[in-house]
Amino acid sequence: MLSYDYIKCADLNLAFQELEEGEQVYPLAGGTDLIVGMRGGKFAAKTLIDIKDVPELNVLKEDDQGITIGAAITLNEVTGFTPVRENVPILAEGCHSVGSYSIRNRATIAGNICNASPAADTAAPLYALDAVINIAGSGGNRSIPIKEFFIGPGKTALNKGELVQSVLIRKPYPKGKGIYLKASRTGSVDLATVGVAVQRWGDQVKIAIGAVAATPVRAFSVEKAVNEAGEKRWADAARLVHEDISPITDLRGSREYRYHMVEVLVRRGLEQTMGV
Amino acid sequence: MAELKIVGTSVSRKDAVEKVTGMAEFIEDRYMGPMLYAKMKKSTVAHGKIKSIDTTRALKHPGVKAVLTGKDYPNLIGLYLIDRSFLAVEKVRFWGEPVAVVAATTEKAAAEAVELIEVEYEELPGVFDPREGMKPDAPLIHEDLANYEIVPIFYPKAGTNIANHFKIRKGDINKGFEEADLIIERDYYVPQMQHVPIETHKAAVQWSPDGKLTVWSTAQSPNVVRQLLSKSLDIPMHKIRVISSYIGGGFGCKAGASIEGLLVPIAQKFPGHIVRIVFTREEDMQGTFTRQALYSKLKTGVRKDRRITSLQYKMIWDGGAYTEYGVNIVRAAGYSSTGAYDIPNVKTDSYCVYTNNSIGGPVRGFGMCEMQWGIERQLEVIARELDMDPLEVRLINGMKKGSSTASGQVVHDLDYDKCLKVVADKIGWGKKESNRNGKYRGKGIAGLVKCPAQPSNAASSAIIRINEDGTAHVMIGATEMGQGMLTAISQIAAETLHIPVDKIDIKVPDTDFTPYEWQSVGSRITYTCGTSVKRAAEDALGQIYRVAADLLETPEEDLSFDGKNIFSTNNSDKKATIREVADSCKKCTGEGIAGPIIGRGSFVPTNMTNLDPETGQGNPGLFYCFGATGVEVEVDPETGVVTVLQLACSIDAGKAVNPQLCTAQLHGGTIMGLSTALYEEVCFDKGIMLNRNFTDYKIATIDNTPHMDSFIIETPETHGPYGARGIGEQPMIGVAPAIANAVCNALGVEFNTFPLTPERVWQAVKDKK
Amino acid sequence: MTEKMPVNFTVNGDKEEREAVVGQTLLKFIRDELHLTGAKEGCEIGECGACIVLLDGKPVNSCLILAVELDGKDLVTIEGLSKNGELDRVQKAFIKHAAFQCGYCTPGMILSARALLERKPNPTDEDINQALSGNLCRCGAYQEIREAIKASSEK
Repeated sequence: MLSYDYIKCADLNLAFQELEEGEQVYPLAGGTDLIVGMRGGKFAAKTLIDIKDVPELNVLKEDDQGITIGAAITLNEVTGFTPVRENVPILAEGCHSVGSYSIRNRATIAGNICNASPAADTAAPLYALDAVINIAGSGGNRSIPIKEFFIGPGKTALNKGELVQSVLIRKPYPKGKGIYLKASRTGSVDLATVGVAVQRWGDQVKIAIGAVAATPVRAFSVEKAVNEAGEKRWADAARLVHEDISPITDLRGSREYRYHMVEVLVRRGLEQTMGV
Repeated sequence: MAELKIVGTSVSRKDAVEKVTGMAEFIEDRYMGPMLYAKMKKSTVAHGKIKSIDTTRALKHPGVKAVLTGKDYPNLIGLYLIDRSFLAVEKVRFWGEPVAVVAATTEKAAAEAVELIEVEYEELPGVFDPREGMKPDAPLIHEDLANYEIVPIFYPKAGTNIANHFKIRKGDINKGFEEADLIIERDYYVPQMQHVPIETHKAAVQWSPDGKLTVWSTAQSPNVVRQLLSKSLDIPMHKIRVISSYIGGGFGCKAGASIEGLLVPIAQKFPGHIVRIVFTREEDMQGTFTRQALYSKLKTGVRKDRRITSLQYKMIWDGGAYTEYGVNIVRAAGYSSTGAYDIPNVKTDSYCVYTNNSIGGPVRGFGMCEMQWGIERQLEVIARELDMDPLEVRLINGMKKGSSTASGQVVHDLDYDKCLKVVADKIGWGKKESNRNGKYRGKGIAGLVKCPAQPSNAASSAIIRINEDGTAHVMIGATEMGQGMLTAISQIAAETLHIPVDKIDIKVPDTDFTPYEWQSVGSRITYTCGTSVKRAAEDALGQIYRVAADLLETPEEDLSFDGKNIFSTNNSDKKATIREVADSCKKCTGEGIAGPIIGRGSFVPTNMTNLDPETGQGNPGLFYCFGATGVEVEVDPETGVVTVLQLACSIDAGKAVNPQLCTAQLHGGTIMGLSTALYEEVCFDKGIMLNRNFTDYKIATIDNTPHMDSFIIETPETHGPYGARGIGEQPMIGVAPAIANAVCNALGVEFNTFPLTPERVWQAVKDKK
Repeated sequence: MTEKMPVNFTVNGDKEEREAVVGQTLLKFIRDELHLTGAKEGCEIGECGACIVLLDGKPVNSCLILAVELDGKDLVTIEGLSKNGELDRVQKAFIKHAAFQCGYCTPGMILSARALLERKPNPTDEDINQALSGNLCRCGAYQEIREAIKASSEK
């Protein structure tokens, strides 16, 4: 059993104060990554601030701005939220790909991105949706695009004293289909060997890929070919993705297989979203 | 045989209500008393000399009661080859080998103290591939091999890493190849896998001041634990009590004796305390038996008429750091090395080789999954080379009544043909399914056989106590780890005693009260324990008749028992209730006739023999159980993803004592087989196990499970209880080759290894291009 | 460092006021403090599902929750599923269909199934697969489990 302090926090300012002043302070929401990481020695927490009951973090709403998903909202709640299912089903697919049903009853979208695994299943859809991360802290609030939030494996743009308050999917929503295609070893509860999000935006496409670099990446080479050069041969377009990624070999797959699978899934994603 | 009333029916499991309500007691579920928690310090090198162990800081840590090292455990332990110590002495032989153990008042203190132990190693060159390990210049892992005590049916080579070399020399191998029109040679490889029962290994030990040792353990074989502890710790058997509660899955990893002895010297220092160890998932994966990897080479000769004339089978097993148990897997694979086929000329060399990988040991199938992978893949290659139907090749060469195994044992009670045909029919064998949406379809079939791998005198026994009201307690030493043994054994007892199964109480073993059972392994319990129980029931029933004969003044042969009353078949007035007979029976005059009725039964095989050391000929099989698996797959050649569309399995159970539970075993084994076929492989890097948890060691989940069709065939086992034979391990054996055969047929490629991960399948498609 | 904190909660219908050690998982708390040993430890990282309990009606992995998080919650464990000695219909169906072998994963499996039936009274195979993919059963009783859940839904 590990030793640390636990603070149940219902006031955001109290959380900022703890995060600002304390050493090794971690916000606790679902805990599904945090507690595993603490057990494995990845996180040496001295204090956990339980932020689940902070009202500002429990927002799940759609308004003029778009869809706001508070940091304490679980993945199953996101998946079940009608505006998400209707307008950005790709995000529901990404959330649904994380862990098992019981894990998703606790795990949050904010936790998934704060863990900053390049393989995070919600990340690629958020990249393809140009999601905005609303960050709150003692020094004030700021909002940054998702692609600036991920800095490296396990590293985010959060400064000391800050936490993710919510994830915003801005209006206008993409026009057209989006799909999250995941390759994994078992096809069941498993980490992504690669994850590919392809989101149609009218006659344009945005493509994001997980588990192929230090952070999730956009497939700009492919996007450029499709969006600017009007490439309609999806196989040719997909081949360009090799320029956008730099996968490694690990237990889940070799570098070669990842290159190959990304190409296949990008092509399939284009076929399924942009039409054959 | 009279019509059976209880055997052959699907009564509910004896452990059902306990298990669905959370009341079933596993060993960690009971508060036992003042507790000390044990944690192990583990080696950080795969092969090395221990230069020093400094336990000073750990001993000073608050809450720590004891820190022990290898010198506190002077004796070796092992089931067949006594080569293992509880803690490493002088050198470590695998990464993660325990080098010290801490006992503390809390788990936290114990874990912290482990970190304070400092160990210095001098790293030695390691052996990570048994093919390299066999070479004369390989680094030696067990310098003392020549001095180890060993059961004299194993053949280690002193001065090498070869812990056993088992040979089959049957017929004339050269003549066989000369007669052949086609000779096929292939190499195969099966990687290590892990059992991963959801309950990890756990044990608790208490030493009472009067010198009595009590052990609670997840052990599959409490009697073996008692025997090995008695020997290695020099404690007489009546002073050792071993209790196995319900076990949360075994599959072989909890066979033999594993962790119990580690705790005893600690317990002896703190009489009255319970010293407990609970393995984490990572410790369980890395520190307990793995399935041994197998490198093999098959050379098969076939005539144009599709008869196999000869088989040369070389197997090199990765025994890991200690092969106390593994040597027998190597032997079993050797004497079974023709699989389910009758081959006249056989030359087999099966080597168990020490390496610095995790310890090899028994896993469901006991070498058969690995060995028959080669057999069943090779048959597929043969069929393709000869442009023949793979099913026909199997039917022609498959064993029939009177066939002989690799060791020359003649098999009698089987219908292997039927096993093959039912699964082939089910999957629509011969009907080619068209490929669709760029995906390829293929069908595959594989047969299987296994006999229990046990010593020729592995015994079993049972006691049945008849209560005053005619209900009964069945006492046996077999363990319940999910297989449904308690239920099947109760049914055999109930059938024989002519009483309803709900009048039988049966419990998990406690060696102070339950009689001897060698081990709950090898799919043997239904047969061995079943026979003992049947004999005990017959003994009890005989006593009931004798007492009733005296009471009713009627000859025994005129009496009948219907479960409630014992009555004369000639005179309906002559009748006594079971209560009258069982409750210290007395005559109407008040004179006593008999005290309580206690039936006893025991069993030891009489049909097994030793094997000739040079030729391996003899009778190693208590019984042989055959079966088959049929599969249809769809493969996405682009991603390599294999989808199993149809999965059919058959087993010749002799007599299914409980058809529902028999089917459950069939399904469970098939799913475990599917899981190994598609997902499971333990990955090592120079002895370091890389995937030590469920995040990276994936096993089949419910959504990986296709619908299964199962077929129970009943060719009675002549000497089995009510014709039954064991079936627990067998269903797993054919699955990996059947799936691989289907994938190979779909893609026109060859797989010589598994699991067929998407990447591996993709690679094969790519290589073919 | 605060060693212990008060936690008020209901467990299987009964109100409880306890103290929980900070750092202790909910699983350990349920087993060691509440002495409800139906929930099992199998991996400690939320992969196996043997520790699943219902928290405010939802199945969760109790190995990944802190005991102190129990404050104000409603906890149901396998021990709370049968009422007055009468087994729940899922429990009965598990028995009828032999939907378990060793029984170690069964409490978590049954609670996941129970929660599924609350959400979807007539689940399809796919619904069952999705809902129970986080419950590992090494004995491989999955087909029987699907049958048992479907049988419980037909009432």
